[in-house]
Parts: sequence; structure tokens; C-alpha cells
Amino acid sequence: MKTWSDMSQVQPLVAKMLMNSIAKDRISHAYLFHGTKGTGKYELSLLLAKTIFCQNRESTEPCHKCVDCHRIDSGNHPDVHQIIPEGQSIKKEQILHLQKEFRYTGMESNRKVYIIKDADKMTGNASNRLLKFLEEPSKLTTAILLTENSQSILQTIRSRCQIMSLKPLNPTNIKKRLEQEGLSSSNATLVAALTNEVTEGLEISKDEWFANARKLVVQLIEVLQEKPNEALLFIHNQWMQHFKDREQLQRGLDLLLIWFKDIIYKQVDHENAIIFISEMERLDKSSMLWSRKQVTNTLGEIMEAKRKLDQNVNPALVMEQLTLHIQR
Amino acid sequence: MSKWYPKNGRVIFHVDMNSFYASVEMAYNPKLKGKPVAIAGNPEERKGIIVTSSYEARAKGVKTTMPLWEARKLCPDLVVMRPNFDRYRFASSEMFKILSEVTTFVQPVSIDEGYMDITACQHLGSPLDIAASIQQRIKDELDLPCSIGIAPNKFLAKMASDMRKPMGITVLRKRDLPKKLWPLPVKEMHGVGEKTAIKLNKIDIYTIKDLADADTFQLKRLLGINGERLKDRANGIDSTPVDPDAIYEFKSIGNSQTLAHDTTDELTIQRLMRQLARKVATRLKRKQVVGQNVQLMIRYYDRKTVTRSVKLPEYIETEEEIYITSLDLFENHWTGDPIRLLGVTVQDIVEKDEIVHQLDLFTYQKEAEKEPLYQAIDHLTEKYGKNPFKKIEPKSDDQPRTSFQKDFLDDFKK
Amino acid sequence: MKFIIQRDQLMESVQNVMKAISSRTTIPILTGMKIEANENGIKLTGSDSDISIESFIPKEEDGIEYVEQIEPGSIVLQAKYFPDIVKKLPQKTVEIESEGLQVTIRSGSAEFHLNGQDAEEYPQLPQLHTEDSFEIPTDLLKNLIKQTVFAVSAVETRPILTGVNMKLEDNYLNFVATDSHRLAARKIPLEVDTTNMTFSSVVIPGKSLNELNKILEDTQENIEISVTENQILFRTRHLYFLSRLLDGNYPETSRLIPEQSKTVVHSPTKELLQSIDRASLLAKESRNNVVRLSAKENNQLEISSNSPEVGNVMEEINVNSIEGEELKISFSAKYMMDALKAVENDQVRIEFTGAMRPFIIRPIDNDQILQLILPVRTY
Repeated sequence: MKTWSDMSQVQPLVAKMLMNSIAKDRISHAYLFHGTKGTGKYELSLLLAKTIFCQNRESTEPCHKCVDCHRIDSGNHPDVHQIIPEGQSIKKEQILHLQKEFRYTGMESNRKVYIIKDADKMTGNASNRLLKFLEEPSKLTTAILLTENSQSILQTIRSRCQIMSLKPLNPTNIKKRLEQEGLSSSNATLVAALTNEVTEGLEISKDEWFANARKLVVQLIEVLQEKPNEALLFIHNQWMQHFKDREQLQRGLDLLLIWFKDIIYKQVDHENAIIFISEMERLDKSSMLWSRKQVTNTLGEIMEAKRKLDQNVNPALVMEQLTLHIQR
Repeated sequence: MSKWYPKNGRVIFHVDMNSFYASVEMAYNPKLKGKPVAIAGNPEERKGIIVTSSYEARAKGVKTTMPLWEARKLCPDLVVMRPNFDRYRFASSEMFKILSEVTTFVQPVSIDEGYMDITACQHLGSPLDIAASIQQRIKDELDLPCSIGIAPNKFLAKMASDMRKPMGITVLRKRDLPKKLWPLPVKEMHGVGEKTAIKLNKIDIYTIKDLADADTFQLKRLLGINGERLKDRANGIDSTPVDPDAIYEFKSIGNSQTLAHDTTDELTIQRLMRQLARKVATRLKRKQVVGQNVQLMIRYYDRKTVTRSVKLPEYIETEEEIYITSLDLFENHWTGDPIRLLGVTVQDIVEKDEIVHQLDLFTYQKEAEKEPLYQAIDHLTEKYGKNPFKKIEPKSDDQPRTSFQKDFLDDFKK
Repeated sequence: MKFIIQRDQLMESVQNVMKAISSRTTIPILTGMKIEANENGIKLTGSDSDISIESFIPKEEDGIEYVEQIEPGSIVLQAKYFPDIVKKLPQKTVEIESEGLQVTIRSGSAEFHLNGQDAEEYPQLPQLHTEDSFEIPTDLLKNLIKQTVFAVSAVETRPILTGVNMKLEDNYLNFVATDSHRLAARKIPLEVDTTNMTFSSVVIPGKSLNELNKILEDTQENIEISVTENQILFRTRHLYFLSRLLDGNYPETSRLIPEQSKTVVHSPTKELLQSIDRASLLAKESRNNVVRLSAKENNQLEISSNSPEVGNVMEEINVNSIEGEELKISFSAKYMMDALKAVENDQVRIEFTGAMRPFIIRPIDNDQILQLILPVRTY
């Protein structure tokens, strides 16, 4: 359940635009919400539907408690029609249903909302039927199209919709969202630093591979600090065994990068910015052992390593070079 | 003479021209006689295929649909010719003329074969005599060989004409079945294609006898109602009449084409669909017919094939109408898998003459303005016979490329 | 919620509302049946969103008590199981009780426990506003439906034509339906003054009216009709029938109906109908079952049909009178038979204005029924 104030945090611009048009009673006949996975398109469409139907709305905020709000959440509102693709595309029956709904009056009133998820999955035929409807909008109807890929939607449809671009979330918000999903604060902080996408973040955090990767990064730091001579051996025997492909190795380097950034934050007493908040003691120790200059150099080396990986340099070689540079 | 004719049954002929196209070419150019001759779709191109060949060529292993290069390898002195459609058309219509002088009950099935019902021809002699005289006349007047099967029904007559070629006359009576028909492998049976034969083999039906004895229920489950029909035929039962008008009841016109590569690209698919719609529309127009049903065939990369059709409220004939309707079908039924072949067929076809135009409440006023004109036409029609102002469609000269055999038949008897 | 009810009464109501329930609905709650108890009785509701049916079982009527021990409340029960359960209960009375969303159905020693759904989730149906309603006898409404609904369009090219246009005009109630090939209209005078009513024209889906016609009994008892902005309500004593409407404006058809005629035929309905029926036997379906009518001298109508493969048929019938110009016209036998059957009189008047223009069929001396048919043009 999302409120407009939640949405203003996550999607300030879009939320503001929508709230303005609600306040001025100028809700458009057709919206196209586009944005990557996890940007809150569907939640936003439900929120808009509730705002339209809620009887106890206070300024722009629906009550989330009345029968209208409840039934929009449960999918039982007879005048809110959700079209969700089954499999590859939106099916013929769904379009027929939609078409019939276009022709009929509403059930409880003539106010109707259509929510079409993954609107880019409409076939040409379906799009044309929708277009026909958008061309002659009835006063009391609002269509909300959701898509991750607005370019796949017919230009003629796009031009009839008010397009709302949902921005990828910022780390603070992602962290908050992840915490709401039950992640510990330390995990949420770390994951939010790695991705700007909540669903992906959740996947990462549940992944055993990631937990081990995290451990290995800490171990590598310890090896580098305690027994630098064994560092190369560690890379071969442990590190490379775990980070098997470029993508995984990039993630490992990201974690390493975060660690060394944290050292700097520690050294400049900017502890609020620290990501590895569960490793404070180790960071403390590191910040004693590494000089500011060493850390800055190391950060440069890690970036360089990441670049080389992108250029398809042999991963083992990249890691060896990096380790040798850090040792110095 | 009546002793040759059954009291309650029928006497049916199946007349089958022997390697028709090649024989016609030999009749035109007697120098070709005795040589291996093949008619190929496109002799210049390597990918041309054999449409038909003379017995001399067949003796060397040349077969219909074989690629040209392969045929040349088997038979280096093969004489390959382009088809001369006009010659075949002419020969065919002369041949059917001879048949229809014997009886009006002649049913052409293709350009080179037809059935005759001579049950009522006792005055002309015994069936064997009639067959011999038909065969002789076709030989003398057209210089063409044919085989004739004589039997109590169409199916057996067809099987009989196949038994002795060329220039054979074969009688197949019910009592001959155990000896002549039943020992044959089931795939030799008319109506049993390769696929059906394989299915039948799987349930241990190898000969026509096996089929005749098979369990009806099991056959039905395997082949649908066709299973029961095949079993009846294996037992020599076929009650379908010789229908002189059957060829006019072509009920569908369709074209299909394989894509250069399996594809999921919608633009490529739409382009092909457009092409197919254009071809079908051209053929509809040439025949002056319209249809009310559109069928789309999709064959996927794994050879899985689906056909989907839709019945329309109105008759259609134009490329655009066919295209839009097939595209609709496509979008509703495409699984998204790569496509190998598409086919578009217009079904439920009727001649344009037979269509009436239902006036519409919201537009009739426009049409009603033409009423005096129609009245004048009606008036003249009554006076001078069928509509003298009927628009004469320009004869299109585009030679049909597919199913040309059937297209020929439209011209027969005109 | 709790009540004890006569099983037969419950069963009848359940069967009525089941007619509106479809398992193929996009709104999950509509797979259920709503049960509501208040001090006056029990109300059952079923809906597929297009139509909704409410059936009311009064606490008591004509001195017979149907429901007792009512504790008000409401719940939605799965329509897949509930009717069969009621049908198979052993005793003449049923006790239904809900505790939260748990429902217990008791009859004799049988006891069912069903999971219900919150009645709040169920659509809220519009209520009848008596000030905006009018009444007509039920059997008359059934006639209005039967005489028009067959002419609605079966195809979606013009969606609004899939409905029947109901109009209130000059204290007449007017039903019009057309699929653009034929039109059927029927009007009746209303006894109440309708000028103050808030609606004047709505379009009711043909499908809904067919359902309504099926569910209504042939009785002279009044049925009350009222219209809200989005639904139309029909109320008999214990049954509410609601239908959503078709959105949009119905085309103005009155100006398309010819006012003058060039040829007028008076004919016995049955003879003409039977003759058309015979002629249509040989009319091909692909030609819309077209038959041809020629108005000849000496009050003779010639009905003929011709099908190249099958043969032809020609029949002359004597009619009461033919006035005006000679005429030859072709039309769909089916449309003509539908129209003649709807006329409800043994004598008809047919007015033609030319072979390419619509013609009108009415009962003799009655302008309340109008059937109009567009002819076909043969090539």
C-alpha cells in the first residue's frame, strides 16, 4: 500500500505532476508510465485509481480504508479493469474484454479506470483497438499504460498519452525499500550501493553466492594486510574459484571499491557515508594500516582493473596485477 | 447385353491419361516418341523440378518432384521441356469431349483423369467394348495413351486404372478384391498418403486386406471419420456418385510459401502475408469468385503446423481485405516461435454472380439514386437475356504458378 | 448473520440469481453469490457485471413465514458449491450462520462449513429511485422485447447497434432495434407523465434483454422500470434485474424511415409468411436466403426464389389489395419472416417505395408496431 507521500519520496517529479493534476481536477484520459523494473509503475497506477475512486479523499490522498480503496487493492473493484499479459502477449480474450468494457457503461458509476500492464506486449491488433478507444475518450475514463519500454509502443498511442517517466530509485530510497522488505540495515545499505533496482537488490541479498563474495572480500583485505606474500595464492585458490565470470568479478571489484572508499570515509571521519557498517572494527584497523595516498592509488587501480575486464583482458591476469599493485 | 450390367449396381469407369504432359508433347512432336522426356517447371534453373515424365524416363528412375539436376544424373539424355499449358488444356478438353459423347455423366477430377458412369449405356455394348472404343478413339484422334479402370464404384475404378499402364483396361469386381486388391500394400491405396500409411503401419496395418479387417473404432480414433471411409473402401464400398459439376465446386483458393529463413521478424512476416494475400486476390478475381472464410496456416521451425480460420459477416475478394483478416488471425494465434511457412486460403467461395448485396439503412439513399439505372438493366435483361451491361473483366495474362492443374479445369467445357 | 429459511424458497431464489453468475469473470468476487439478511428478509445477488439479478425472500408474505430468527449481516459465498449444497440438503428448512468469514449451513443432521468472502468486496448496485420510474405490465414488456430484440446487430462493427434503444417520448415508451439491414420498433402509451424523468433515451444490450425475457414470467402484474446514469433496473415483486447500458448515442433512425409509399399491399399475415417460408427452402444461405416478390395485377403477389444448383420455386398468392405502382423487389426471407412473426395481427399492411428502398410492415390499423426491411440488390 503506497501513499502519495511515499511516492513523493520515490518519484518526486512524477508524483508532483500527478498530484497537481488531481488537485486541479485535470486528470488525463490516458497516461503512459514508463520506467525500469521496480520503479513503482504498478503501485502508482493503483494509487491513482484509488485517488480517483476514493470517497474520503483528503486533498490528493485517498483514505486506503474505504470499500473503493480496498477493492482496488484486492482486484475486486468492478470499474477498475486490469489487463495483465498472460505469457508472451496480451491475449485475444483480454482485448475482447477490454473492447466490451469500452462500449458498456460502468457498473457502479460511469467512472472507469483501465490499467494495462506491460503495454508494450500488446499485439498490433490490440494496440489498434486501444488506439481507436483513445481517439474518442469518454469524459470519465482514465487509461493507464505501464511499460518498461515505451519505444515499443505505437507512436500514435504514445502521442495520445501523457507520458510519465519514472526515474530509477536513489540508494537511500532503495535502502528504505529493502528494509521494508525485511533486510537488515547493514545488508540493505550494501545492496543499495550495488543496484538501483529493488527487485534485483532483493535477489542479490537472498543469494548465497553474494554472502560468500562478501566474506571473500573481507578475507582478501586481511590477507593483504597480514600476509601479503600469500595474496597471489589466495587469489588463485579462493578468489578466482568464486568469481567465475567477468560479471561476478566485476561485482567482487565493486565490493572491494566500496571497502576502500569506506576506509577514506573512516579516515576523514565521515562515518555516516560508510557502507560496510557491520565491519566497523575491521575498517578501523584498515584505516590505520593504509595511508590516504595508498588508498587513493588503490581506488585508481581497482577502477583500472574494472576497465580492463570490460576490455576482455584475462580475468586472472587482471586480478594478479591488481593484487601486486595493492601490495606495494 | 444387359448381362454385363448389374441389376442394382452401377458401372463406373476411371479414365487416366498416361504421363499426360509428356504424351501430349510426343503427340505434337512425334520425334520425341521413345525418348525419355520430362516436363519441368523451370528447365533453366537448377532448382527446377520434374512435373511429369514419359515412361522411358521413368524407367531410368526419373520421378515427379525430383530436382532437375538429379534427374539429369540418372538419365543424361533426358529431353527437358517447359510446360505448354495451352497444348495440355486443348488436349484435355478434346479428351473430355470424347468421354462426354458416351455419357453426360462425366466427372473430371483433374486435367488428365475423370470418372464416367455408364450404367445407362447398355445400348452401346458391354463395358469392356465401350472402354476399348474410348481408348481407341483417344489413341486415334489425339495420339494419346490412357488406362481405363472398370468397377462398380469410383474407388475401385480408380484402383483398377492404376493396375495396368500404359494403355490398360482393367476390370475390378467385388469378387476380385481378395486376389487383386487386398494383397497390395496399404500405401498403394487411393486416399492413403504417406503420413496415413505410417500411422496405419503403427497399428499393424500393412496391406489393404489388413485395413479391410481392421477395427472400425480403432481406425476412427486414429484417423477420424476418414478412418471409417478408408475401411469401407478397402472392402470395395464407395457410394459417392459421379458428379459432373464437382469440379466447379472448388471451395477454396489459397497460396502458401516457405520463408527463406525461419523468422520471428514481424516485418518479414507481414511482407509475406501481403504477398500471399495479393496472389489469392488475383486468383479470386480471375475466377470471378468471392469468399466468406479466411484460413491462415502457420508452420513453425519444428514443423508443427496450425491452421486457424475465421468466418466473416461479408464476402471478401480484395488483397486488402484478405491481408487484414489474415493478419488478425496471425496476431491472435501466433505463439511467437520462429516461423517457417505461411499459407493464406480463402474458403466458402461462391461465384460473384450469386452474391446479392444487402442494402444498409444508413447508406441506402446513396444507392437508391442509381435505381433508375438498375431498373433499365433489369428491363433489358428481361428482353435480351442475362445482363448485357455486365462488366467484362479483362482477361489477366498472369499465368498461375501454383495449383495450375485446378485452374485449367475451370476452362473445361466453356 | 444468521437465519433459518424454507429450503424450497431459498432454492428458487438461488436458481434465479445463478442465471447472472458466470465462472468466466475478470472480477474475482463475482464468482460468488452475495447473501444479505435484514429484518425484512433475505436478499441474494448474482452478477456477471453485465447483468445482475437480486432475489428477495420476504420474512413473511400472505401470512406464511419463510424466514425466522434473522440476525442481520451479509457474506459472499462461492457460487460453485452453494447451489448444490442447498439442493441436496435433507430437511425442509436450512439454517445459515456466519461467524466472521466462516459460514455454517445446517439442515437436519447435515452441517457444511464454507469459507465466505467479505460482502464489502461485492459491487454496490444502484438502488431503484421510485420518483424516476414507471410501470408497465410484465407481459407487455416481454412483447416489446420479443418484437424488437431479434433485430439487434450480431456483429460489433457498430457496437451501439447491439442494443435496443429505449426512449421516452411524448408519454410513449419506444423500443427500437436495428442491425442496419432491418429495423424493428414498438411503442406503447404510458399512463404516467414522463416529462419530468431524468432520462429520455438509453441503449440496453440485446443480450441483457434476452436474459430478462427468459427470466420474466408471462404475467399481467406490473414491472417497475427505472434508469440510473449507468444501469437500468427492472423490478418485479421479489426480483430485481439490472443491466449495464451501452455507452454512446443511438443513431437517429426516424428520418430514415420512408414517409410516402408507392405500392401498398394488404395481405393475410399467415399466408404470406408460409409462402415466404416455402420459397426460402430453395434460397441459398450464401445469398442471405433471398426471395423475390412481385406485385402483380388482380391482387396477386408472386413469391419466387431461384438457386442455380437446386432449382427454383414460384408461388402466387391472393392478397386483399395492391395499390399503386408495379413492383419487383428482393429481400432476405429470414428478415421478412422475423418481421411477419413480430407483427401480432392476422392482417398486415406493407408499404413499398421502390426496389432499392426500405419497405415497412405493420399490422393493419396499428401504428405501434413497425417492422422495416432493407431489400437486396441482385447483380
